[in-house]
Amino acid sequence: MDTPPSLLEMDSQLSELIRVQEWIDALVNFYGLGEETRFAIQLCMEEALANVVLHGYLSEPGHPIVIRSWASDSALYFAVEDKAPPFAPSAPDSSNGGSPANLESITPGGNGIRLLHRFVGSLVYERLSHGNRLTMGFPVARDKNASV
Amino acid sequence: MTISTESMDGDITRVILDGRLDIQGAAAIDLRMNVLAGSCKFLLLDLASVSFLGSMGLRSIVLPAQAIKRRGGKMVLFSPVPMVEEVLKASNIGEIIPIFHDLHAAVAALR
Repeated sequence: MDTPPSLLEMDSQLSELIRVQEWIDALVNFYGLGEETRFAIQLCMEEALANVVLHGYLSEPGHPIVIRSWASDSALYFAVEDKAPPFAPSAPDSSNGGSPANLESITPGGNGIRLLHRFVGSLVYERLSHGNRLTMGFPVARDKNASV
Repeated sequence: MTISTESMDGDITRVILDGRLDIQGAAAIDLRMNVLAGSCKFLLLDLASVSFLGSMGLRSIVLPAQAIKRRGGKMVLFSPVPMVEEVLKASNIGEIIPIFHDLHAAVAALR
């Protein structure tokens, strides 16, 4: 099995997410990771990248987003870099337990950051001189005897 | 992502989703879900063949559920796979739109 590339560049369009999905699948298969890890990575990457495209770049195509991936003994990491205005995906307020009182109080589409924090292993935000970097780590639960 | 429907006793419409309910999947079903929300009173959303669910997919569930409730109806979720159910619970939507793994119980909740 060929080693998947460690870097992916995408344009600021949601239609580009299919390439990211395929890249993640290749990395997960290469490292022999479990299906729950695959799901968590796919989910967090979709939420993080949709956030950059929709809120960082206001759905305007033509802006670069660079994703790097690397592995340690215990985790697989992804760093997403963009040149959008500052945006730190702070943990959602849990002072009310995070529970909506009823169906009407649910904000459609307002769950991305909550899901990101729930399914990621580690999350580090850095404000760069020219943009943002979000580094996500996922503990590896290997299916096979593949070495990470 | 595909969407199909079948009628059940008690004026219940079973909506069967199949595939990934990611951003692309949500875009593929939104129009049909909105039409169903405007025409069905009791909707059983079968998630057994949904392999992925993200926040945009949640939106495709919540908006129709809100529309149905405003019309005096109800939606329940049926048979999500474990990771999809974890997304529903992490977003607290599972507390508002009931989740069932037993079909008879799901149907009973709609009656």
